[in-house]
Amino acid sequence: MISTDRAVPSYRLAPNYRPFVMPALIVVCAVIIFPWAFTVWMSANDWTLGQARTFVGAENYINLALDARFWESLWHTIYYTALAVILPLFLGTIAALIFDEQFPLRGFLRGVFVMPMMATPVAIALVWTMMFHPQLGILNYFLSLVGIEAQGWIYDQATVIPSLVIVEVWQWTPLVMLIVLGGLAAVPREPYESAEIDGANGWQKFRYLTLPMIGPFLMIAVIIRTIDALKSFDIIYAMTQGGPGTASETINIYLYNVAFSYYNIGYASAMAIIFFILIVILSFVLLIVRQCTVWSQAGDGK
Amino acid sequence: MASVRIVNAKKNFGAVKVIRGVDIDIADGEFVVLVGPSGCGKSTLLRMIAGLEEVSGGEIYIGQREVSHLRARDRDIAMVFQNYALYPHMTVSDNMGFALKLKKAGEQEMNDKVARAASILGLENLLERLPRQLSGGQRQRVAMGRAIVRDPQVFLFDEPLSNLDAKLRVQMRGEIRALHRRIGTTTIYVTHDQVEAMTMADKIVVLHDGLVEQIGTPLELYDRPDNLFVAGFIGSPAMNFIDGRIENGEFKAIGGLALPLPEGLPAGKFAGVELVYGIRPEHIRAKADGIQGTVDLVEGTGSEVYAKLDCQGQAIYCLFRERIQIEYQQSLCIGLDPSLVHIFDKATGKRVVV
Amino acid sequence: MTHKILGRIGFLFAALVFVSPVVLFFLWMLSLSLKFEIDNAAYPPVFIPEHFAWSNYVKVFAENNFFRYFWNSLLVTGTATLLALVIGVPAGYGIARLKAQKSAIVIMIARMTPGLSFLIPMFLLFQWMNLIGTLWPQIIIHLVVTVPLVVWIMMGYFETTPIELEEAASIDGATSWQVFRMVALPIAKPGIVVSFILSIIFSWNNFVFGVVLANRETRTLPVAVYNMLSFEQVSWGPLAAAALIVTLPVLILTMFAQKEIVAGLTAGAVKGG
Ligand SMILES: Nc1ncnc2c1ncn2[C@@H]1O[C@H](COP(=O)(O)OP(=O)(O)OP(=O)(O)O)[C@@H](O)[C@H]1O
Ligand SMILES: [Mg+2]
Repeated sequence: MISTDRAVPSYRLAPNYRPFVMPALIVVCAVIIFPWAFTVWMSANDWTLGQARTFVGAENYINLALDARFWESLWHTIYYTALAVILPLFLGTIAALIFDEQFPLRGFLRGVFVMPMMATPVAIALVWTMMFHPQLGILNYFLSLVGIEAQGWIYDQATVIPSLVIVEVWQWTPLVMLIVLGGLAAVPREPYESAEIDGANGWQKFRYLTLPMIGPFLMIAVIIRTIDALKSFDIIYAMTQGGPGTASETINIYLYNVAFSYYNIGYASAMAIIFFILIVILSFVLLIVRQCTVWSQAGDGK
Repeated sequence: MASVRIVNAKKNFGAVKVIRGVDIDIADGEFVVLVGPSGCGKSTLLRMIAGLEEVSGGEIYIGQREVSHLRARDRDIAMVFQNYALYPHMTVSDNMGFALKLKKAGEQEMNDKVARAASILGLENLLERLPRQLSGGQRQRVAMGRAIVRDPQVFLFDEPLSNLDAKLRVQMRGEIRALHRRIGTTTIYVTHDQVEAMTMADKIVVLHDGLVEQIGTPLELYDRPDNLFVAGFIGSPAMNFIDGRIENGEFKAIGGLALPLPEGLPAGKFAGVELVYGIRPEHIRAKADGIQGTVDLVEGTGSEVYAKLDCQGQAIYCLFRERIQIEYQQSLCIGLDPSLVHIFDKATGKRVVV
Repeated sequence: MTHKILGRIGFLFAALVFVSPVVLFFLWMLSLSLKFEIDNAAYPPVFIPEHFAWSNYVKVFAENNFFRYFWNSLLVTGTATLLALVIGVPAGYGIARLKAQKSAIVIMIARMTPGLSFLIPMFLLFQWMNLIGTLWPQIIIHLVVTVPLVVWIMMGYFETTPIELEEAASIDGATSWQVFRMVALPIAKPGIVVSFILSIIFSWNNFVFGVVLANRETRTLPVAVYNMLSFEQVSWGPLAAAALIVTLPVLILTMFAQKEIVAGLTAGAVKGG
């Protein structure tokens, strides 16, 4: 760091911070770096647990490319993720605009609204499963009240993914709201006053002032939501285990089945790596998009 | 208490040379003020003395001990920071006693020392408060109390008054001076406020761009600035600088204005050399048969009159301590006392007169 | 003036529209858990039963070894959180002070990796080490969630605490460790509270690690409640009761620590798993 006029002396005045980081470094190596390295190695082997292991190079990856079930699960993942990002984004933004205003019980209601996000996903999923029940579920009862015929919900191949997304939306809209709320708090007041003077109406103010200013925060929400939706496991597994048939089998669920139902470790590892690369690429693309929407430093409030 | 000696100290941040070879000698018990414009490296130099920044070259001695490579906690110094750096989670007395606690001093000794410092600073009634329950001036005092309790070899202050309002600043200025008179610890005090420097210092060090421009008592700096930078930096309002040359025993400004030269100047030696003529606004008086100019600007504060004159295209600022009646665009004649004139070499910036 | 009041009532109403699915859901959950099977299977649905089926809760504990699973959950969550604090708080401090942006990337990667990817190699490792059947595999793998979380939040906190305080302490004679323990740590207390709470919640809620690594003896609550669904004659009352028992501690914590949770989530914008 420091270029000196004479030889660099071997003393340090600044406190040595490395010992503070060491334990975490060891843990990170043990539970994060090691598993990754090991996974890469395993993915080059044909290895079903309990059987002999043979080195096969890229064969697992080639098989993956030819695996129709994998492509199907990829499609399910994209479908699921798209819905599970867009809907919470839309609803969460509206919720944030509402909760940014002053009204009675605001703090309390916000607290209630945040609860699904913290609730145990499996517990939530069980109750939703009961609510989705075609004969006894409360949702079909409500539909019958307004004259809509009973739905199959998660028991129907056609509606299973949107139904699962309902749970996802219910649970994670609050996170989007919190992020956007943080963005709204950083928005300055003056532009609104001058827009008022210029005669802008409510929609125009939202469209031309609020939206661009909270843009970076929306992007953060999109990135986080995308990563989480891609990884979504608990809700899907607890409610459908990928069914009916394989109608809601996302990559993550397929990965679980290959690894822990069929114990095909090599193939699962290859899939894990492809899946991870997919997440990284997508996050990276979104990050670049975000760079383009940054309006000011305020967007750095990650 | 101890003397402080800084020998050819240097500091680089990467490729940026912030301190470029500084030598300062500070006698035991002296109150030295480091002054200079923002970014000149004052804080960096002070932090090098404190042991918060490594030196990139040179040595620092406190007393007989070379401390350049010692850690801050081994140097036996105390420092007061610009924003006080009071520990927010400790009461006033815990803040002041923290260093003693680290030294594993006894309860009794700690209480005595804290109580003594508190009485010197008038903090007796605030000892159980937390920093956020104090006013700015009180925080400032606690920060000093923390330094006093240590009974260190050297006090270091980094712009300790810059967060206070003007009135409190004047008051604390006096208190810090009084404190120094009373306990006599060697003190190094950083400020960019030259009034603070002039009123408080035994000795001023003017720093500019990582180099010492001049070291001297406040009056030495005022009366005999070594160079253009010090001349312009010390004194308010700032000194008039007029470019020109010596011709026929007179100073001829660029626009043709002729100005009197101090006596004893070997005029011949400077024939043809580009020079700068310096005169402080307060050393100019109204004089009936003097240099004639037109008043461009007048500002009166009641106690003094500040005016800008246009003398043959040359702007000259004047400060009159007596109340004289002048008006915008009127013509006014001024006289300069040649013995208060400073002449500098334009190329080197150095003072050229005896 | 009335215009303003009308506006406020309007926003209150809009907020209620958003909050109602949440309230209705939890009320329905409560209702399911307090009804006998007849009421739960009734059509049209019964909202408030004539007789409360408190026995559902008794049944959960009596028939399912639930105390054991509760204890397992406490051990796993508690140990994983405490370990994460012990390891992660100093690390957050070190990273913030070293301005080691690159180590932050490792933390990001840990967040982006699906939990399942860690599970495959770790599962094998635990098998070789003969740890399956104890709680250690779960505790260790929960660190994958809790350590990055704690480091990330603490990093943010230490970055905002002024360095002058620490410099003052080192001039006062403190060693690096004393500076950390006596100055940096007390000031970062709010951050520690936030990361403690979030770490507890995310660890408590975790399901996927338990599904793979736990056996009959070492199940945590989320796994236990899931197994009630798959292996028993599905009876809704006890199931809903069990679900409520699992998630109630978290909901209570959310209620009481709402401010910290919101602060932590908006600062780090994090989620476990
Ligand atoms: N850690 C650092 N890394 C790089 N450059 C630095 C660092 N600290 C200070 N500098 C640079 O060194 C120069 C001197 O800084 P310093 O803080 O000593 O100025 P100063 O004289 O105290 O100014 P001020 O009156 O504004 O406090 C500045 O140009 C600053 O940008
Ligand atoms: Mg400074």
